[in-house]
Amino acid sequence: MRKELPLLLTTVFGLIVVFSKWFYLGEVWGLHDIAESWVLISQGFAVAIGAASLTRIHGRNIQRRREDWPYSLVLLVCMYFYIILTLYQTVEGTEARWIYDAYITPVGSALFGTIAFYITSAAYRVFRVRTREATVLMIFAVVTMLGMAPIGDVMISGWGDLARWLQDVPVGAVTRGILIAGYIGALATGMRIVLGLERAHLGGFTGG
Amino acid sequence: MLAENDAPTATWGIFADGEVANFLFAAIFIGLIYYMISRARAGMPIPEIRKMAGLDALDEAIGRATEMGRPVHYSPGISPVDNAQTIAAFAMLSYVAKTCAQYDTRLIQTNRNIFVHAVNEEIVKQAYLEAGRPDAHNPDDVRWISQFQFAYTAGVIGIFARERPAANIMYGSFFAESMLILEVGDMIGAVQIGATAQTAQLPFFMAAADYTLIGEEMYAASAYMSREPVLRGTVVGQDLARIIIFAIIVIGTIVQHIDPEENPFTWFLREF
Repeated sequence: MRKELPLLLTTVFGLIVVFSKWFYLGEVWGLHDIAESWVLISQGFAVAIGAASLTRIHGRNIQRRREDWPYSLVLLVCMYFYIILTLYQTVEGTEARWIYDAYITPVGSALFGTIAFYITSAAYRVFRVRTREATVLMIFAVVTMLGMAPIGDVMISGWGDLARWLQDVPVGAVTRGILIAGYIGALATGMRIVLGLERAHLGGFTGG
Repeated sequence: MLAENDAPTATWGIFADGEVANFLFAAIFIGLIYYMISRARAGMPIPEIRKMAGLDALDEAIGRATEMGRPVHYSPGISPVDNAQTIAAFAMLSYVAKTCAQYDTRLIQTNRNIFVHAVNEEIVKQAYLEAGRPDAHNPDDVRWISQFQFAYTAGVIGIFARERPAANIMYGSFFAESMLILEVGDMIGAVQIGATAQTAQLPFFMAAADYTLIGEEMYAASAYMSREPVLRGTVVGQDLARIIIFAIIVIGTIVQHIDPEENPFTWFLREF
């Protein structure tokens, strides 16, 4: 029963979503919207589970004085302070909003900004010409990068057009091919789950 | 209840508007898969799945971590539980956790989405049970880090710096965080196996990971790893669907060039 009930629920809700998407009656009854609102409600509970999980792990770090335990303390203090503040003020409260805008957003942006440096180091490794594939990759990358920058057209007229053609035609075609194949794979995965063939999400590897 | 002017319209009395083509495609597809599953169940031959280096390298990567006495890190991406890539990641996590349990290697599993975390907790626990090593399971190693994308990223990078996993498996739907995590993984010398269907992230995976599963390969992984004929049948079915779509694209392109006004494919998709 531990696996059968979740399996049954998966199949039933899978069929409800399919029914509401394809069939007129499903659309009229608004089954998909009902299922989505259930997801939203359960997400509220899930956040509490997340907070409990963090408290358990970091609480234990502090209790046992594990390495770097002060960071765990900082994390828990910040988390509970912000939870209490937003419960009191709501997320639109002046202080709650200020903490979010002045701290969380810039830290996220700063981390996002470091991607440029990581891309450079990864590109350096890839563009070392060791294989035939790496050579082709490097040639196309140089053509595209210079073509997309103003200097490309200044050096050779039409270079920008060539770079844009590379992006729009060969790269676009391959991307769409991957997307179509991916969607079919996703459909097959969904089918395996609705039919109960794939059960890994219930714990335990199928076969193996 | 929907307002009268918002009320949906029906095609052929039963289908939602504009969904007939989707329904027909899915019906053909389901038929193909059912046929292949039936063949597999009856013991009739079905084509083998080609070798996938990324999946073959999984055991090697976990084995390397075992030899080095360092953990394995597994991330299912940052998308919610209803994303097909996340669902594919569940199957792979199950395999990785079971293998780690058998090798007695520590598995650190990090999550951004709390629903995914809840499912993964159960998957890892069950995998250790099935491997006969429930005592080796440490619930604290399945971690929910943060709902914020870059807080999650920073958390994973921190784990890399402190715990130095010898293998990093990133399997699922990733966005901008992929490059950051993979590069830090490279800095600590981890063997990295990536799998995603996010086309914008694939170049980063190709550049920074040692092995990459592209798009549909990640969906076929559970069938590939399990070697179960019924699951393999679904993969063969989806490959046949791809061949049919490819044929339609080629024929459609030719017809479009010959007579754009009378292309039956365009007409069918517009009408249904």
